Amino acid sequence: MLHLLKIDLKKMTSYRTFWVVCGLYFLTLGFGAASGMELLKLAARLIESLGENLNVNRIPIYHFPDVWLNLIWCSGFLKIILAIMVVISVTNEFSYRTIRQNVIDGLSREEFLLSKILTNGLLALMSVGMIFIIGLVTGLIYSPVIRFQYLITDLEFFVAYFLELFFFLSYALLISIFIQRSGLTIILLLLSQAIEAIITSNIDEVVPDLIPFFPMRSIWNLIEWPFPRYWLQEIKDSLSLGSVAIVFGWIVVFNSLSYYKLKRMDI
Amino acid sequence: MSSVLSIKGLTKKFGHLCAVNNLNLEVKAGQVFGMLGPNGSGKTTTLGMLMGVVNPTSGDFKWFDHEPSSSVRKKIGAVLEHPIFYPYLTGQKNLELNAMIKQCPVANIPTVLELVELADRKNDKYRTYSLGMKQRLAIASALLNEPTVLILDEPTNGLDPMGIAEIRGLIKKIAASGKTIILASHLLDEVQKVCTHFAVLKKGSLVYTGPVDEVGKGAETVEVNADTANLKELLLTFPGISNINRENGSYHVTLRSGFKSKDLNKFLFDKGVVANHLVTQKKSLEKMFLEILSESNK
Repeated sequence: MLHLLKIDLKKMTSYRTFWVVCGLYFLTLGFGAASGMELLKLAARLIESLGENLNVNRIPIYHFPDVWLNLIWCSGFLKIILAIMVVISVTNEFSYRTIRQNVIDGLSREEFLLSKILTNGLLALMSVGMIFIIGLVTGLIYSPVIRFQYLITDLEFFVAYFLELFFFLSYALLISIFIQRSGLTIILLLLSQAIEAIITSNIDEVVPDLIPFFPMRSIWNLIEWPFPRYWLQEIKDSLSLGSVAIVFGWIVVFNSLSYYKLKRMDI
Repeated sequence: MSSVLSIKGLTKKFGHLCAVNNLNLEVKAGQVFGMLGPNGSGKTTTLGMLMGVVNPTSGDFKWFDHEPSSSVRKKIGAVLEHPIFYPYLTGQKNLELNAMIKQCPVANIPTVLELVELADRKNDKYRTYSLGMKQRLAIASALLNEPTVLILDEPTNGLDPMGIAEIRGLIKKIAASGKTIILASHLLDEVQKVCTHFAVLKKGSLVYTGPVDEVGKGAETVEVNADTANLKELLLTFPGISNINRENGSYHVTLRSGFKSKDLNKFLFDKGVVANHLVTQKKSLEKMFLEILSESNK
């Protein structure tokens, strides 16, 4: 397993595009997550110019345990960059035909796929680690009282965050294997959310029970928008096993489809 | 001799096109096996199936009497069609990656780079290499795991005469080291010089297979020239003659079976004529190849 991961990393670590994209991703993720207070102040000034008053220090976005869910929910938007990186890495193998040479050289198709899946897992884990560290540091800075009990509340959402990223990267891997061309794949990746929204909005009155099972919707149900709690609305602050199961199901479906496609195609 | 490769009824269909049709073939250890055939005759598709990148429609094959698997492929060095590497990696890094995939020691890299004379360019990116260098790097990569079998598909395709000579020399060197080589090529002259056995494919079907030695058997043709005005008349009186024609300033005499070129030489000498040019032509593989292909049309 580790051997396969090393093979894929060997391919990537000398590839400049990989460093540029990953560098931008982690920089944006890091700075974005750490500058929430500044963004909030900006929002406060905007609101002030409209004649309203907003005391930013009374909005505890970085307080334990709010910080976890806030950061996780916002960071989810950047996963598209990581997914584009995966698309480039996989479609390159087809356009350079290196997947063919890999198999000729003695890598089985299963091993090839596994090496890509393992990289997906690693990228997701790195994001999780990064957000955990930023959350921990900012939480320690901004929380007025630090209680261990608060600190460990909502940590289960990191499992959800990992699933969200791994789900989306598995999806990127799947469509890369099916389409094999980077441009087309990236366009489909960017449009997936919109395409699904169009479909669901057309059928949500006919079969409302099916809507939570749609892949992109299942992510929104897994980690809900946390900010309404600041205008005193109830939010779901515990992980629902149902939505975890749906996302997990999609991960299995995506990677199995990749497997069957790769197994059957002539490369 | 032990069997390296045995193919039974291998077939590949792309839609209604039959690229390889019920192919049966046997390659033994130590052979240098040439695969011949016009463009689109199914050579590369066959090699693709043997290397696990093309799924056969039906039929099967065995490497070293084993079912094909990725671990068997690690023991084979193969270059199909054209060299494939990561363009943004250096030659050295590409080979390191291949060594990881083949699970063979990285210490082999300097040896193979030396062999293909690329050691001084190893730290340049693959995309900066000339076609000849790319071909040579591909051969280096194929040799990396010290394979017992080497598959080369058109290794001299698109090279200039110097590049062709380099690769040919390399193949001879490798063949001399006792490796089994499967060589697909258009260059019949090359196959005749290097190969011990050959097979001819046409439109996906095997039309001929046999040792290269047998190509030369049959009627001999002798190329003769002498400083005599009536050489043609004289040659026509030679009892062993079956045909004569003039090409490039000398006479090409086809002998009847049982007669050798030395008989002709002796005949001329006895008549007081000393030949200043006397060459025994073996039937070339090229001629035989064209014969095989035209016969298979009937």
